[in-house]
Amino acid sequence: MKAIAARDEAALAQLYDRYRVIVFGLLMRILNNREEAEDVLQEVFLQVWRKAGDFDESRGRPFTWLVTLGRSRGIDRLRTLASRERVAEAGAREVIEQISDAASDAFKSEQRGLVNSALAQLPDEQKRPLMLAYFDGLTQSEIAARLGAPLGTVKTRMRTGLMRLRELLAGKDESFGF
Amino acid sequence: MIHADFKDMIPARALSALDAEEARALNDHLDGCAECRMELRDWEETAAAMAISTNPVEPSARVREQLLKEVRKDLETPPVIPFRSAQRNLWTSFGSLGAMAAVVLLTALIVGLIVMWRQYEAARDELARSREFMQLVATPGSRVTELSGVDLGAGATAKLVYDNAGHAMLMANKLPNVPEGKAYQLWFIVGNNPPMPGKTFVPNSEGKGMMKDEMPVAALRSAVFAITVEPASGVPAPTGPIYLRSSAVN
Repeated sequence: MKAIAARDEAALAQLYDRYRVIVFGLLMRILNNREEAEDVLQEVFLQVWRKAGDFDESRGRPFTWLVTLGRSRGIDRLRTLASRERVAEAGAREVIEQISDAASDAFKSEQRGLVNSALAQLPDEQKRPLMLAYFDGLTQSEIAARLGAPLGTVKTRMRTGLMRLRELLAGKDESFGF
Repeated sequence: MIHADFKDMIPARALSALDAEEARALNDHLDGCAECRMELRDWEETAAAMAISTNPVEPSARVREQLLKEVRKDLETPPVIPFRSAQRNLWTSFGSLGAMAAVVLLTALIVGLIVMWRQYEAARDELARSREFMQLVATPGSRVTELSGVDLGAGATAKLVYDNAGHAMLMANKLPNVPEGKAYQLWFIVGNNPPMPGKTFVPNSEGKGMMKDEMPVAALRSAVFAITVEPASGVPAPTGPIYLRSSAVN
């Protein structure tokens, strides 16, 4: 990040090459549209290039910053789209099919397996609020309305679910290599 | 709400799932609570791990190309430093004009003070010399000779005072300006002997000139004093025209 903040083009290219498939996968999951996701992907890394000086190591790892930024821009774009359903229909099938060999090589499936395994261990009533919040950008009130559950219940389940996820991933951060 | 209430809200904040009002309240709390900020950081790490659960997807090569193209554009453009005064309005314009006027006034004031100071210094110097002149006049045995302008020096006047020890002082008025590199030079003329050179001086812009000199002993018997215009460094024998001369020995 320091090299990028110092306007080192090669450092940005290196960061892009390392994390593009993860961030793009996240954006595809949120937007379900390749064209939109690619546009946002470019925006995200361009923002990294221009705002790398703002990155504060004491507030988290570069990977967390990058992913949080990517998710935030993805949710923003999602909200500006007139119809999420329309976009979803257009790109629903693309996601799985576009996993390339290069992407698979670059991304360690072991890491994805760990997170997916942890998520799979969560009861559905806890996992759904987490997924709706993280990938759909819904607030607790919106989730409560969507699920037809009391707001207090959603809050409790969301907190409990994330706590459980943290416990399941505890000590495995190192294996993520981020 | 108390600290514990805010702590409960942090996981939802890490997922950006708080409603607007709660988010504002928590943000205010976070500003002053390092413990909660640290906890938020941990929850954000956990939330970020959820991104890894998605299928990795390869974007098209065009994205990388476009990204680096934009980066190179940035590199070619020097960073823009925001300049506050860019947001101008009528009042800031008046403010700028006021500031400019203040600078002009201040400059004028400083220049005026410098001029006044120089005038004061000159007046003080002149007064000091006048006192010195009068002291010499008051010295027992001193003599005063008046010189009058002739030809090119018409209208000019001067007084020369000197004592028995040869301490002399000249005060001149209404002297014409001298060309660059030139100065007035005093001469002591005794009988038919060649004029004896005195010192040179340059009058000020008002035509006033003052000079202290030590007269040669032989000059104490001078019958005539004369002033010519000569090279500024002085010459041993007069070369220029006479501007002032004494009429008689007192």
